[in-house]
Amino acid sequence: MESFEDLLETGPQRIALAESLDELEAVEGELIGKRSAVAETRRTLGTLPPEDRPVVGARLAAVTGQIQGMIATRREALQREAEDRLLREDAADLTLPLARQVRGSQHLITTIIDEVSDIFAALGYRVATGPEAETGWHNFDALNTPPTHPSRQENDTLYLDYGDPADEILLRTQTSPMQIRHMLANEPPVYVVVPGRTFRADTLDATHSPVFHQIEGLAVDTDISLGDLKGTLAHFAREFFGPGREIRLLPDFFPFTEPSAEMLVSCFNCEGGDPSCRVCRGAGWIELMGCGMVDPAVLSGVGYDPDVFSGFAFGVGVERLAMVRHGITHIRHFFENDVRVLEQFR
Amino acid sequence: MRISHRWLSEFIEVGDIEADRLGDLMSSLGHEVESIERLERPFENVVVGRVTAVGSHPDADRIRLCRVSDGADEVDVVCGAFNFEADAMIAFARPGAVLPGGFEIGTRTIRGVVSNGMICSESELGLGQEADGIWVLPDTAEIGADLAEALGYPDVIFDVAITPNRPDAMSVHGIARDLAAKLELPIVSPETRRVAAGQPSSVRIKIADARGAPRYVGQEVSEVKAGPSPLWMQARLSSAGLRPISNIVDITNYVMLELGQPLHAFDLDRVTDGTIEVRRARAGESLETLDGVTRELSTDDLMITDGGGVVALAGLMGGGESEVSGETTRVLIEAANFDAPTVMEASRRHGFRTEASARFERGVDPELPPVAAARATHLMEELAGGTAAAEAIDVYPEVIEPVSVELGSKLLRRILGDEVSIDLAAKLLVRLGMGVSGDDPLTVSVPTFRPDISRPIDLIEEVARLHGLDKFEELGARVGPSGGLTHEQRRLRRLRSLLAGAGLSEAYNLSFVGLDALSLLGLDPADDRMDPVRVTNPLREDQGALRTTLLPGLLASASFNVNRGASGVSLFEIGTVFFRRPSPLDPAIPDQPAHLGFIGVGGVGLSNLGSRERPSDGFSAVGIVELLSRELGIEGVNFTQVDEAPFHPGRAVAVTVAGVRIGIVGELHPAAARASELSGRVVAGELQLAPLVEVVTPWAFVEPSPFPPEIFDLSFDLPVGVASSDLRDTVRSAAGDLLESADVFDEYTGDGVAVGRKSLAVRVALRAADRTLTGDEVAPLRAAIAASVVDELGGELRGEL
Repeated sequence: MESFEDLLETGPQRIALAESLDELEAVEGELIGKRSAVAETRRTLGTLPPEDRPVVGARLAAVTGQIQGMIATRREALQREAEDRLLREDAADLTLPLARQVRGSQHLITTIIDEVSDIFAALGYRVATGPEAETGWHNFDALNTPPTHPSRQENDTLYLDYGDPADEILLRTQTSPMQIRHMLANEPPVYVVVPGRTFRADTLDATHSPVFHQIEGLAVDTDISLGDLKGTLAHFAREFFGPGREIRLLPDFFPFTEPSAEMLVSCFNCEGGDPSCRVCRGAGWIELMGCGMVDPAVLSGVGYDPDVFSGFAFGVGVERLAMVRHGITHIRHFFENDVRVLEQFR
Repeated sequence: MRISHRWLSEFIEVGDIEADRLGDLMSSLGHEVESIERLERPFENVVVGRVTAVGSHPDADRIRLCRVSDGADEVDVVCGAFNFEADAMIAFARPGAVLPGGFEIGTRTIRGVVSNGMICSESELGLGQEADGIWVLPDTAEIGADLAEALGYPDVIFDVAITPNRPDAMSVHGIARDLAAKLELPIVSPETRRVAAGQPSSVRIKIADARGAPRYVGQEVSEVKAGPSPLWMQARLSSAGLRPISNIVDITNYVMLELGQPLHAFDLDRVTDGTIEVRRARAGESLETLDGVTRELSTDDLMITDGGGVVALAGLMGGGESEVSGETTRVLIEAANFDAPTVMEASRRHGFRTEASARFERGVDPELPPVAAARATHLMEELAGGTAAAEAIDVYPEVIEPVSVELGSKLLRRILGDEVSIDLAAKLLVRLGMGVSGDDPLTVSVPTFRPDISRPIDLIEEVARLHGLDKFEELGARVGPSGGLTHEQRRLRRLRSLLAGAGLSEAYNLSFVGLDALSLLGLDPADDRMDPVRVTNPLREDQGALRTTLLPGLLASASFNVNRGASGVSLFEIGTVFFRRPSPLDPAIPDQPAHLGFIGVGGVGLSNLGSRERPSDGFSAVGIVELLSRELGIEGVNFTQVDEAPFHPGRAVAVTVAGVRIGIVGELHPAAARASELSGRVVAGELQLAPLVEVVTPWAFVEPSPFPPEIFDLSFDLPVGVASSDLRDTVRSAAGDLLESADVFDEYTGDGVAVGRKSLAVRVALRAADRTLTGDEVAPLRAAIAASVVDELGGELRGEL
């Protein structure tokens, strides 16, 4: 048997030549295992003269430690190689669409309603919704629209065969009746937006549908003037269409506001310079919504004192907002539920 | 309303204002200009000519050889039309003329004869439809006149939308009046002819219903020569969208467009007894109106009558019998004021509107009739050879006085802020033709042409309008005291997001349903979904009622997508349905709860390579509800197998929350799916929305136990009718407080299980919050669970306890 001192001569090479973990284990057994010279020396340590024992013992430990270190290093290297080999075999084309996550979509009308609601919620407005089948009183009379007003004619309003004919149950033509319900149920001041579904006796064409959506805004307080309306709508325009938008009011007529106006927003697409602009056709302005100062008759009708309170109201078409902003060409896209359309808007 | 720039210029100096700017001014006054049409000269070198002689062509009988004078020269012109003879006034395109489309006219030789120009038809000039023959001009046309100029070219037409509160603006003069106030320019009155008092008319006029007809002015004009109206008048009527008819009718229409007062012309010789009475129709009366329709009259209809009966439907249309014709020589011009609601109701009742009724229903100025009658009289003398020998008869029983309205600075400031002082307001109102006295409050006398103004706020609108809305300062956004979304609104957003996350896309369907579509669901006729609220005046049969369920709309949407090639469709919709019962919100209106509906067709997920796709089936329907209940913290959700249309008799479950049914989900009956052209398993569900969003999730925190769970499986042989949820619920209640979870993980039928039986396996996890469970604790619970499944569900434990 060779002396354990020879280990340092032959050991390193044998360790380095071990090509697998099994081989390395065999080499380890031969070099420092139970039947190795090292083990034999350790076993016979007690037969040495007492004064030699510490010297030989220390030398034995040092040699064994060195060999163990070499084996550990070699083992790590072999393990790494083995894993590398396995991983190379495990390679895959991850671009194969095997685990694409599928998500549905939220309707664009919902998204716009949420967006506008959030703009006003952030200003301290509440969000309220109301009934779609309404009484003629809420939809018209209480909004200062007398029975002789043209919009009460059958060719604009869809009437329902329900209840007391005197109640004139109809599909609301605007979200404005919720102004009335909200004011009747709440004391002033009132700051609220009302998103919802509205109805007209319209045949479907590119911009008209018998069913559409509006968002109504109403603010009533002791000190609201026309400048507040302008500022609020300008804020909305900038939040919704981006900074830098300007607004303009042109006089208009609605029975329940006075003064009444149509609100225009400066074109976000061409800034007014392009006669072929898809959005404004060069006009530079986009008609967006009706608005105005709440008519005193409406306030007194719900028990608010028009000598103390004033307010503004506005109503914007949700489909109109969506069509203008996204360039949607026909209102039917909102109601056909073509998944190729739905999935464009998340 | 179409407003001609040239016509406008007759009343106000706006010639040097650019058309776009003028349009913008009108819009800023509230008369929205929807389009500006520039009428350029459509042709050059076309003049009014006169045919002096007509001869035949030597070599052709389909064309004629004419001598045409342009006032200076006379030339030969070949013409293929036969609708004129010598002395006819015609549109003569001289050599060198350029017609629309760049068509140049020269001197040509036609079948051996030289033709020096062309006699034109209206269509050749780009003015009218293709017609037989050339355009024969009225005799009054001035020979040699440039035809484009005589027709009013060039001009600019403003198409203006007049709001319903502004009857005064439904005329050229009315628009001019508003512009004059804005621009601080003087306004010109049109030329009129009034016959001096003391020359009484033979006509007798009586108003029997002064509410319906507050005023009636009749002016007799004799020696009228009926014929075409002059070119310029025809052109103006055409540019305003009215068809020229004859000088008498055209004059009445012209004055209506100019001043806003509708007029009617009667052939006085056909007015029986020369008497006019305005009264309501009597029962059984009828009138054939000018459009040839015989109208049965209501006793609410206001009528013009003569000695022989009804002759006109007041404010709407005259009758055929007293109509002016080519033979008419004596005309009675009617300029009346009719009550707006009376005309509106008649228009609604008889189902038609006219230019006249459109004005009367908004309210015409009661001071206009004598002015308009005098204007028409002037024009009839000028243009139709008439003579007004008798003074106008003006029946005006109760004079309508201008209203007086007070305006104080307090209200002014509250609505308009500090931009307009009370002094400035006074000046603005004066410019609008109001009489103003006092300092604060102002006492304002409102002219009768502004029936929309009766309250202080109406004056404020006028002040703001004339001052210009652009001038008001834009303050900051008006901020409310507190706001934001309610609990329900936030949960609704989360619910939508969850469904989208589960792969469903949100659909929006119309709120209508056709009775046909409803019947395809196969519901029990007594089901309240089969008795929808009907629309009284639907536009289409499939929009005849309000939806009672979201399913027909979702079926249609799914079918739409499948027909367009989609392999799988998963949709949800949140929308209102309507029932014939009082709403808890307001007993006057129908109940209209919100529902959540969903539909799934074909595969869910992806359908390529690795095929993560799995078919949509009833399990996915329950999975959606479980997702919502878990994620929204809705406790006590249970499913009970049901057999109900329109669902599959064996694959549908009713959903209950805390014992209250909120809807049904599962697979649709194949018949219902087929009716919408869908095949395969169609997954659907419909739930009430309120129970899903109204729930308040408890705030209590549950401390996770640091101790290990005790987990064991039990397998039972059970009757086939026992649902896995029954097993789960039985295990839950038997296990008591230590139960952490109980999940059914295997179902088996077949070898080793008797017919009518099935095997279900459940994995039970027990855990205590404060200790590691010992075998002594677990064994009795395990036995109790098994015993209760045996007792309550008729099960047998498979294997050892």
